[in-house]
Amino acid sequence: MDRVKFSDAILESAQMVTGDCMGLEQAFCVAACPMNTDAIGYVNLIAEGKNEEAIDLIREKLFLPNTLGRICAHPCEENCRRNTEYNQPISIAALKRYAAEKADDEKRWDLSVKDNTGKKVVIVGAGPAGAQSAIDLRREGHAVTIIEKLNVLGGMMRVGIPEYRLPRDVIDFEYSYLTKLGIEIKLGVEVGVDVSFEDLRNDYDIVILAHGAHVGSIIPIPGHKSKGVISAQEYLKEISLTRKSTIAGKRIAVIGGGDVAMDCARSSWRVGAETVYQCSLENMDNLPASKEEIEESLEEGVIFNAGYGPLEIIEENGKVKGLLIQKVASIFDTEGNFNPKYEGEKIILDVDTVVFATGQLVEDITKGSLPRERAGRYTVDSKTLETSIEGVFVAGDAAGTNIVIEAMSHGRKAALSIKNLLNAKPLDYGRDFEKEGSYKTKLDIPLPEGIENLPRLSGNFREPEIRKRDFLECDTGFTDEQALKEASRCLECECKFCMQECVMMNDFGDCPKDILDKLVIDGEMDPLLAYSCNGCDNCTIVCPKELPLKKIFVGSRKDFVAANNGKSPIPGHKVINMHQLLGFSWLFTTKRKKGGRK
Amino acid sequence: MLDNTDKVYGFMPGCSLPSYNPHAVVETTEFLASKFEKFSAVQKCCGKPTKAIGQYDLFKERFAGLQKDMDDVQIEEMIVACQSCYLTFKEISTTAVTSLWALWPKLGMPEEIKNKAKDSDMVFTVHDSCSTRFETELQDGIRWILTELGYKIHESDYSREKTRCCGFGGMVVPANPEVAKKVMVRRVETLVEPNIVVYCAACRSSLLQADAKAWHILDLIWGPVVYEGDESPLDVLSNPAKSWINRYKAKKGINKVVK
Repeated sequence: MDRVKFSDAILESAQMVTGDCMGLEQAFCVAACPMNTDAIGYVNLIAEGKNEEAIDLIREKLFLPNTLGRICAHPCEENCRRNTEYNQPISIAALKRYAAEKADDEKRWDLSVKDNTGKKVVIVGAGPAGAQSAIDLRREGHAVTIIEKLNVLGGMMRVGIPEYRLPRDVIDFEYSYLTKLGIEIKLGVEVGVDVSFEDLRNDYDIVILAHGAHVGSIIPIPGHKSKGVISAQEYLKEISLTRKSTIAGKRIAVIGGGDVAMDCARSSWRVGAETVYQCSLENMDNLPASKEEIEESLEEGVIFNAGYGPLEIIEENGKVKGLLIQKVASIFDTEGNFNPKYEGEKIILDVDTVVFATGQLVEDITKGSLPRERAGRYTVDSKTLETSIEGVFVAGDAAGTNIVIEAMSHGRKAALSIKNLLNAKPLDYGRDFEKEGSYKTKLDIPLPEGIENLPRLSGNFREPEIRKRDFLECDTGFTDEQALKEASRCLECECKFCMQECVMMNDFGDCPKDILDKLVIDGEMDPLLAYSCNGCDNCTIVCPKELPLKKIFVGSRKDFVAANNGKSPIPGHKVINMHQLLGFSWLFTTKRKKGGRK
Repeated sequence: MLDNTDKVYGFMPGCSLPSYNPHAVVETTEFLASKFEKFSAVQKCCGKPTKAIGQYDLFKERFAGLQKDMDDVQIEEMIVACQSCYLTFKEISTTAVTSLWALWPKLGMPEEIKNKAKDSDMVFTVHDSCSTRFETELQDGIRWILTELGYKIHESDYSREKTRCCGFGGMVVPANPEVAKKVMVRRVETLVEPNIVVYCAACRSSLLQADAKAWHILDLIWGPVVYEGDESPLDVLSNPAKSWINRYKAKKGINKVVK
């Protein structure tokens, strides 16, 4: 057979299919995850009771599944179809924790690294961004050193997120992966004190700044310099490291509406507070904190003043005596600028401590070598995370991320850039920036028939009045039965309707896009594919985009025949030729007219 | 009798039906001949297999021969018993076409046949031809016939527009027999009753190859009443010699009936 020249109509249809087919589009949860963790995959493995396979799948992307299973802000759940349809997302994070607790075994960890390259990378900061960069670059065979100012691992996970949400032994166990992989970690080394930024640049091929945003932000309202005023970062850090607070009194007000504010409020009970208030410009319906954190704070008795802003810290003898707050009329002005306006009643909260959970700043450890932006963040190329100094990259909160999983994604992004740089390739070589990190999937499919709105299951929480007085973990996690039930709610979002209908396409690929890419890219198609289509059209009928597959498979046969001397290229079709000759022969045919022989 | 008695109606049984059951072809031809004052019949292939394997030019040439035959016997509207013929005619023929199955309710069931199966315990599932999945009048006609005969019907989830291929379509059997067999087996698995009624003889052959019991609707009209547990007729189409002998018999039978 000659090379087949496919007609324009066939090629145009194939282009339409490969452009519109959603068969390779990721599920909502996977696309939303900044690390693109295969959530749909591991949730369904858990539903089948395959916990070992589930944790192996998670570990392909995440080195700290048990940590993230507890504290991930889980954008996957926000985008879960059961959330967008029913407001009852799958407890994906909690299921990850379950898989980790049930089946994570360091003996099965992937410790493979490529041969040593002789290149040296130093990473400042042992938080999630730095750790992820370190792992990815160590696997490439580079010598990687992490230097960390604190004497503990984990960054904000260790000194920001409270112990009752994330036990410290979980962090240490999961970070042991780094040392097993051959990453050198130096604790208690502060850039600018023990070593200079310049030293790092001189001693290493690559420098990654991943030291987070640990500087607290205190709003300069009257009284903010009083004794008893503290930033969330200082407050949580001391409590994290010592389980005590040297500044907290008995009556505490936390200003802020995010997760950090909730952590401060709830930590206050655990260091002996008797009354804990919250106040934030955002009202209850618009609090930035996660639903779980708000609910758990309410359960523990935090008194919310959401929708009230702080006007003044009332002091007496230089010490906090109260906090004056007023109802918020609006947060932004008509031009959209942050410009809070107040109205109505003013309230004085009778407190002796005020904690500002109103954002955090990045400390400059480069002594002005790098340009910086809002909140002190270093200026970077947002695609590659490179800075104005060659060989210096920034990842994580120091470059603007907000949650742990985003910081990890940044770590991976920086590592991808560095991998290219150290291989003398352009930083964008082989990369699809659109799909690095969280992105919007093009999946747009109807709900499967007969789906019920089944309620979300959450973990098992200790009694609020007991748990708020200790640092033990609040949530004891899922039981086996709960995990199976919760995982089984997954809708397994994917577009494979045609593949469920068509028998033959399954012999040629995963979905029409996969099957027809070769036709679009190389202008080639296996004749057996074209001649295996029954032409029943079920594929098009179930396709959300009604893509014309029969038109391509059956329609292209004309082109195969043209390239094969007017005959089908399929050997078995010789029988059809004979069949047709007989079917048209005088021996088996007739034409008759009533009332007159013809 | 239909209103339009001036028009010359024709009947064409197709290929697989005369190869399977020449007796049913002759009976049907006789029945139609009795219903129309002006009536002709043609037995020939419409050329769909030629088209299906991609030989478009040859197909056009072959269909032109068929068109000439129809014109020779002055057919103005062709009644077809094959769904592929139906679609081929619609696409290319200058002669109007109607499906035998859509037409039958308008002609009525012969009194001696009506309700003949009223005492049968048989419950049938209809396997609709996928090529005419959107032809509801045609599908309704099959249900009407079964009900007129007195049989009970249990519809599957995959009927009418949701029907699935029997595995025979697209000339896949000689091209990729493994795939065709899988399609046949899957089709049978999606039918709710073990006893199936089809209105395409090729579909019937496919379903039998997947170990189902299947009757052509004309088997039930012109053949004996069947009961639960009865075996369905053998798969004649798998035997080429018998098939061609039958085709020849059908031709001879048509010649006898239409003269």
